[in-house]
Amino acid sequence: MFHVSFRYIFGIPPLILVLLPVASSDCEIEGKSGEEYQHVIMVSLNDLDRIRENDSNCLNNEPNFFKKHSCDDDKEATFLKTAARKLKQFLKMNIHEEFKLHLSIVSQGTLKLLNCTRKDKEKKQPSLGEVQPTKNLEEKKSSKGQKKQDEMCFLMILLEKIKTCWNKILSGTKEH
Amino acid sequence: MHRMKNYTHFFMSAPKGCRFTHVTAPLKREHVSASLTAARLFSPGDLEDAEPDYSFSCYSQLEVNGSQHLLRCAFDDPDVNSTHLGFEICDGLLVAGCLNFIKLQEIYFIETNKFLLIGDSKICVKLGQRILTCRKMNIVHIVKPEAPFDVRVIYREEANDFVVTFNTSHLQKKYVKNLIHEVAYHQEKNEHDWMHVNLSSTKLTLLQRKLQPDAMYEIKVRSIPTDYYKGFWSEWSPSFHFRTPEAKGPGKMEPVLLIISILSFFSVAVMVILAGVLWKKRIKPIVWPSLPDHKKTLEQLCKKPKKNLTVSFNPESFLDCQIHKVDGIQARDEVESFLQDTFPAQLEESEKQRLGGGVQCPNWPSKHAVITPKTFRGDASLRCLAGNVSVCGTPVLPSSRSPECREGGKNGPHVYQGLLLGPGTTNATLHPPFPFQSEILTLNPAAQGQLLLTPLGSNQEEAYVTMSSFYQNQ
Repeated sequence: MFHVSFRYIFGIPPLILVLLPVASSDCEIEGKSGEEYQHVIMVSLNDLDRIRENDSNCLNNEPNFFKKHSCDDDKEATFLKTAARKLKQFLKMNIHEEFKLHLSIVSQGTLKLLNCTRKDKEKKQPSLGEVQPTKNLEEKKSSKGQKKQDEMCFLMILLEKIKTCWNKILSGTKEH
Repeated sequence: MHRMKNYTHFFMSAPKGCRFTHVTAPLKREHVSASLTAARLFSPGDLEDAEPDYSFSCYSQLEVNGSQHLLRCAFDDPDVNSTHLGFEICDGLLVAGCLNFIKLQEIYFIETNKFLLIGDSKICVKLGQRILTCRKMNIVHIVKPEAPFDVRVIYREEANDFVVTFNTSHLQKKYVKNLIHEVAYHQEKNEHDWMHVNLSSTKLTLLQRKLQPDAMYEIKVRSIPTDYYKGFWSEWSPSFHFRTPEAKGPGKMEPVLLIISILSFFSVAVMVILAGVLWKKRIKPIVWPSLPDHKKTLEQLCKKPKKNLTVSFNPESFLDCQIHKVDGIQARDEVESFLQDTFPAQLEESEKQRLGGGVQCPNWPSKHAVITPKTFRGDASLRCLAGNVSVCGTPVLPSSRSPECREGGKNGPHVYQGLLLGPGTTNATLHPPFPFQSEILTLNPAAQGQLLLTPLGSNQEEAYVTMSSFYQNQ
């Protein structure tokens, strides 16, 4: 019995201490006033919509990425951080410079406002092709143009999710 | 001591490669001297060996060339030897690392679209690879807008005001869109008496009454960012000059309007005078015709004799008179016989007088007044006794005789005084001054003023009718 008490005293609390940072968010949203988002990030989001408005031939299937990452309550910062990092992958694509510029503003601006304290080692983000493993087989069969189209559709959905999550954060701030 | 202590700690924690670094400068201060920090740490005697003043100031202009932004820095001290000095900016960029400025004479600038526009950036002065001084700034807080242009002033005569309009390139920009504009104007002869007006739109209205008439004015505009973007006033726009119109006199009117008003006044005056002159004779009878009043008309016809003649239709005036019913035909016969018997001598005398005098009643009508026999019928007839002439007045008619004739008694009309003597009037004596002839008296409209008619009782309606027809004939 004495051994059992030691187990509970010296075993469980450290476990709690280890698990606590994982459960908590490591990012603090600084731009809750909405000024930076409204005057900088939203300008770029609108320009990205304007650039891509003619190309809306996207399927309604939601990629698996968003099934794993969503802007749930108390997880907004985490989602934005993940989404912002995902945006960086698109900078490597062969896209227009103006498009890249606005993607950079959205990505880095979001990360700047999140003010994440713990710099996670940026996990090697799976390439865009691996993001949707279920479609991996399909992409092999489709042409490169179709592949690019799918990536752009994913990008537009990602941007829309980011915009929605920011609006959720700011509206929640205004209510308080 | 407290300040020195803080600076000391700061100095010790300076990163490698930096002699000292600054904490974020206050937003309102444009010129933060990094070297002043060192000056505070040393006594005044050590200033001779102090580093030169590398304080600098910067401002940014966003979207000056499409999506390209401009950042411009310069040393505050113009005597600084900037031969080998350079500027760089780190942090707050879309790219990793730092960006170097381009030097143009004494000005350092960088034109790029790699500004994140979120968070602070660090701008450093470096000599080669050695950092001399740094300053933390936020690019969006040192924005200097572009100067407004195309200032115009339009005078609106109908509104008596001046509309000032101008243009700014920030209307088409995506970031710095909200600006506060300052309009400054003054009379050119008053060099330092400037008036300032702040507005957020690009249109301003100046009232004419607040400006001097017939004066030359100068006006210019500048802008400053507001809301999220902050910074400095832009340069002044090119001035615009305009002249205010001359003041109009208090009674000054256009010539055409003046002539029209004078003519209208005189027209109204003439109409008023004519209306006053012609009112009674011409206008009133048309506008308000008077209805004939038979009683008054008859009264007018029956002129009052000078002596004791009462003409009235008020029965109360004749209370003293005895009213007897008279048979018209019988009365006439009786009168004829009576007159023939009673006054033959008087008749001769009067005829002689009349013929001798040869006086005619001036107003005696040529025609004879006629009293129809009808007038002698009726239930009542008015008779007057001779003795009561004063009360009754001269009855009458058949006295178609003028007062002069009556009084004179000389020349009387040949009238038939169909009068009216009844049985009850034995005492009545008449003195017909004139000889009577059995003639029918005719009512002559021309002798309106001279005739006296006897209103015969029950024949009042007929007399009334006769009178009305008489009046109509008139």
